[in-house]
Amino acid sequence: MPHMVSKPVYWLLGTLGSLLATPVYSLTIFACEPEWALLAKELAPQAKVIQATHAYQDPHYIEARPSLISAFRRADLAICTGAEMEIGWLPALQQRAGNARLRDGQPAMIYAADAVETIDKQETHFLQTGHIHAQGNPHFQLDPTRFVPVAALISQRLIALDPDNAANHLRQHRAWHSQWLDHIARWENSSQVLKGKRVVVQHSIFDYLIRFTAMEKVADLEPEPGVPPTISHLQKVQQQVSAAPPDGILRAWYQDEKSSQWLAKRIDRPVLDLPASPDPNQAQMSSLAGWFDLIFSRLHALN
Amino acid sequence: MRHTPLYNRQSKAKKTAAVSTLNPLALAAALVAIPATQAAAQTDVSLILDAYHKSDQTALGGRSEGFGLSHSELSITQSMGEHLRGKLTAVADINEDDSEFELEEAYLQTLTLPAGLTVKAGRFLADIGYLNSQHSHSDSFTERPLAYRGFLGGHYFDDGLGLSITLPTQLYWQVNAGIFTGDEFADRNSDNSLGIWTLSSKIGGDIGTEHSWQAGFSYVRNRTIDDAHDEHHHNDHDEEHEEDHDEEHDDHSDEHDADHDDHGHDDHDDGGHHGHSHGAEYTGKNIYIADVVWKWAPQGNNRQQQLKLAGEYIRVTDINEYAGSSDYHSGYYLSAVYRFLPEWSVGVRHGELDVKNPHGDHFHAADISETSVMVAWNPTHTQTVRLQYTEQDGNGFEDDDNAITLQYQIGFGSHAAHGF
Repeated sequence: MPHMVSKPVYWLLGTLGSLLATPVYSLTIFACEPEWALLAKELAPQAKVIQATHAYQDPHYIEARPSLISAFRRADLAICTGAEMEIGWLPALQQRAGNARLRDGQPAMIYAADAVETIDKQETHFLQTGHIHAQGNPHFQLDPTRFVPVAALISQRLIALDPDNAANHLRQHRAWHSQWLDHIARWENSSQVLKGKRVVVQHSIFDYLIRFTAMEKVADLEPEPGVPPTISHLQKVQQQVSAAPPDGILRAWYQDEKSSQWLAKRIDRPVLDLPASPDPNQAQMSSLAGWFDLIFSRLHALN
Repeated sequence: MRHTPLYNRQSKAKKTAAVSTLNPLALAAALVAIPATQAAAQTDVSLILDAYHKSDQTALGGRSEGFGLSHSELSITQSMGEHLRGKLTAVADINEDDSEFELEEAYLQTLTLPAGLTVKAGRFLADIGYLNSQHSHSDSFTERPLAYRGFLGGHYFDDGLGLSITLPTQLYWQVNAGIFTGDEFADRNSDNSLGIWTLSSKIGGDIGTEHSWQAGFSYVRNRTIDDAHDEHHHNDHDEEHEEDHDEEHDDHSDEHDADHDDHGHDDHDDGGHHGHSHGAEYTGKNIYIADVVWKWAPQGNNRQQQLKLAGEYIRVTDINEYAGSSDYHSGYYLSAVYRFLPEWSVGVRHGELDVKNPHGDHFHAADISETSVMVAWNPTHTQTVRLQYTEQDGNGFEDDDNAITLQYQIGFGSHAAHGF
């Protein structure tokens, strides 16, 4: 019977078959920020992960551009920070993409903030014009401990959406979890020396990191949350810290360096450039643990 | 929070989650059934005020001379159960001569259709061109481009049904179709209850990490013009988009002089819409729009800097029964806006309009060009102060003029995410 069927037909059937068959872990995951992309890869190594933003972009200000809409359209699962981090662009993707799976409230639309307790929740009111987060500070990716419940949430949803591979997802999660706890213990240990270090920041990006390391935030270069530093405010900060200069100034890669450099020069203290999100293209940050290792090793420059 | 039951906390140290261990059984149990956590029913209300002063009246002006509130909008978005979302936008235009309130959006949109489909029903902004479906509060200039003001009444919204599909392709590809009553398009002279239908498609993508682009093509079929009655149905005199009727010249002889090219809103019509136009000034049976947008940001970080180039070309054909293949209206604009600091941007826009004014069985050509330069300051993300200078130069247009506009815009409440 084989010679009854011509080669092109075989080829066609094969192609069709491979298109229809669902390979193991065929999930496509849309990750709003690089940290969730890495976490998704670590929890579901065979999933296809689309990293929507990168470490040099301010995740508050992303264009809801065509490439992201098409990626969102094709995704089976999305992992975003939530807590209004992506409020300026994610709703536009959801509306434009027409992907019913990734509506808010669906199991495939994962907000990490649903699993963690955020800090600094603030009352908002209709007439305010400032950039205030009612759901608290969304930059919790810089707290290693908060990855634990987020990972559990993601694995839960992976199992629910891909039950055929439930055992694999569970195994993967357990392995990740125990390794991560070891990492946390290591970082807690190594950051003992950072306790009480006094730092100046720009925006609330590093608040969770500062808490984890028990450092102290002495000033913010932003006059108000989300408002770029002004000269008059910088001068105020300079005056404020001149009596007891801080140990350093923390700057995220995506932030303009002018303000932190301005202050650094005047108070003769270093600026530490930190990746607030990992850049997986750099070998050292190809894993979440590698990224945190880099952050903690940079922080040791404060000594 | 919700997921703590998955862990047996063994309070070894204070750093919470670090010391909890995973209980696989608890995890498995919790995983058996994850309900689709119903998104909380949410009502978002936003108010945007746009106050301005414009030094002079301009041809086809989107804002009228003097002080005013232009296109200030109150918008309510409401999730309606699992499958639908509703939106209502009321717009106020208030100037020294006139005030006007209108419902710009009142629609229901589906959320749960398969295959990337979305259906909208009610009153909404037609998905045509680049700017049309965007709210004007996100515009980079104080007025819509000349071509939009002339051919789409600034922005075209209407009562109808819209279908949109985003295809599961690597390259972004969206196709939109709409049918509308046509009541809001322009003065009509036909009884077609489905006066307008539209078809449009957009594609787009990224080039590297710093560049992104989108290109679109739209077609609008206008069935509100009926050849047979072309000359005799002008119920609404505030926009004389099809002149050359002797009887109308009697009514408006002070305006309709020599060239019959009085298309502007020069404030003297009975009940005229000053500044904010509703209908298209120049119509035809077929409208074609080609649009392209390109954005660049260093390292893709548009928080700090961004350059945005946009251009659209619109052609309106079959102006009336006498129109030959060369008797069409056309217009375009090209704009460049550079945000060089998070809170500062500058922009320049140039556009032209070439129109054919019907005169019996032939046409009189008229054209106008408009160049605008603007500088905008965003002291906070909800406020914009914009200063714009606009220069117009027309042939066959009477009210072309130059103007300086100062605009202040402030938003309250929730701020909807902006599209590309």
